[in-house]
Amino acid sequence: MFSQYFGHYLLNNGLLTAQQLKHALDLQKTTHVKFGVIAVDEGFLTSKQVEEIHEKQKQQDKRFGEIAVDLGFLTNEQVDHMLSSQKSNHLYLAQAVVDLNYLSIEEFTNALNEYKKIHSLSDEKFEAIKSGDIDAIVESLIHTNHPEEEAYTEYVSLFVKNIVRFIDDEVYIEASEAKNVEAEWLVSQEITGAKPFWTAIAADEKVFLEIASVFAEEELTEADELAQASVSEFLNLHNGIFLVNMSNKGTELEMKPQKVDHASAVSVHKENSLCMSIHTSKGKFQLLFSHSPENVMVSDKHKENQTV
Amino acid sequence: MMQKQLNVLICDDSVLIRKKLKNILEVCKCHSIEEAEDGIAAIQKAKEMKPDLIFMDIVMPGKDGIEALEEIMNENPALKVVMASSAGTQSHLKQALDLGAYDFIQKPITLEAVTAIIEKIIKEEKGVSANV
Repeated sequence: MFSQYFGHYLLNNGLLTAQQLKHALDLQKTTHVKFGVIAVDEGFLTSKQVEEIHEKQKQQDKRFGEIAVDLGFLTNEQVDHMLSSQKSNHLYLAQAVVDLNYLSIEEFTNALNEYKKIHSLSDEKFEAIKSGDIDAIVESLIHTNHPEEEAYTEYVSLFVKNIVRFIDDEVYIEASEAKNVEAEWLVSQEITGAKPFWTAIAADEKVFLEIASVFAEEELTEADELAQASVSEFLNLHNGIFLVNMSNKGTELEMKPQKVDHASAVSVHKENSLCMSIHTSKGKFQLLFSHSPENVMVSDKHKENQTV
Repeated sequence: MMQKQLNVLICDDSVLIRKKLKNILEVCKCHSIEEAEDGIAAIQKAKEMKPDLIFMDIVMPGKDGIEALEEIMNENPALKVVMASSAGTQSHLKQALDLGAYDFIQKPITLEAVTAIIEKIIKEEKGVSANV
């Protein structure tokens, strides 16, 4: 999963084109991570030393690790450590990008270090993200000064897990400015109790139908009652699991029935709300979350304005 | 002896859940399967069809599943009502069991969970008829 995040970072910073990222993400599924990439990633070797070993490999029938030990570049312990790192998630993308000649190992490593710096990640947290720890990824993305920041993080983290569990395992999320969102389809649900909140999925029709089809386990081509029920039920299921988690921590909450709006504009209170863009292989949609349900306005373009 | 086939009422405001649960119940060879979209419809249908078993959602518009459970149990305390909700919180569970619910299943509803409930009911009913 880290590959999706770091891949989008490379894309957003102009280091890869969208087409190159797609190729690299496709290729990484069948990529065998080579020792050179691991060694540089671990900081055991410089890219120049890797090149030197590669040159030697052309002349001798020896493995990368053996030559590196012979040259005194690596210890046997480091080689053993690298063997166990070979299945590390983020390295598949690195190897794919290098194999496709989109970036050198050095460029990839520099970008990785820059990514780590920008997101102010400690080594411990970075290790967690590299291993695909969703909680750590979400925590690194959400920065609010709201007293309920922990609840935001838990909610979004659980949402990503439920997307992976029920909809699509290729998820990339980013926080976006929450204020006004226009949605072709908006599925919302209000939660009442000690810590009330309002939550919604906003999507265009194509993505709405994709989510609906996957969750309903059948191909849905029209945004009819069944498709609407499918996306609604996914949100309801997710909120239900969140309520159980909160209940186990001593906070009892209740859900109201979900609401579906077509062609609507949502206005949320900026200080108390969060908008996450959820990118999946099915397309992009928005997750909206507000701690002040009373300030959420949903305007139906076909009808009069109404408050949710 | 032929195994008893159950009459089942599904009460859920989601057309998707009703459809999925109906498919599962058909696999379980239930005799008659009827549907209700909310608590009020469920109370009415329960009187008309006299089901052996009801699957009842909790969060529904109008009369919710807990209110409907209370009325149905007042009318027929022997009826088996299984609450099915995505929010299986401790308070919901306690409330439902206090009101006489037979069981509680956490959504998403699976074939295994439904089969286990039906087998349990059939086994219990066999026990009752053997003792008569």
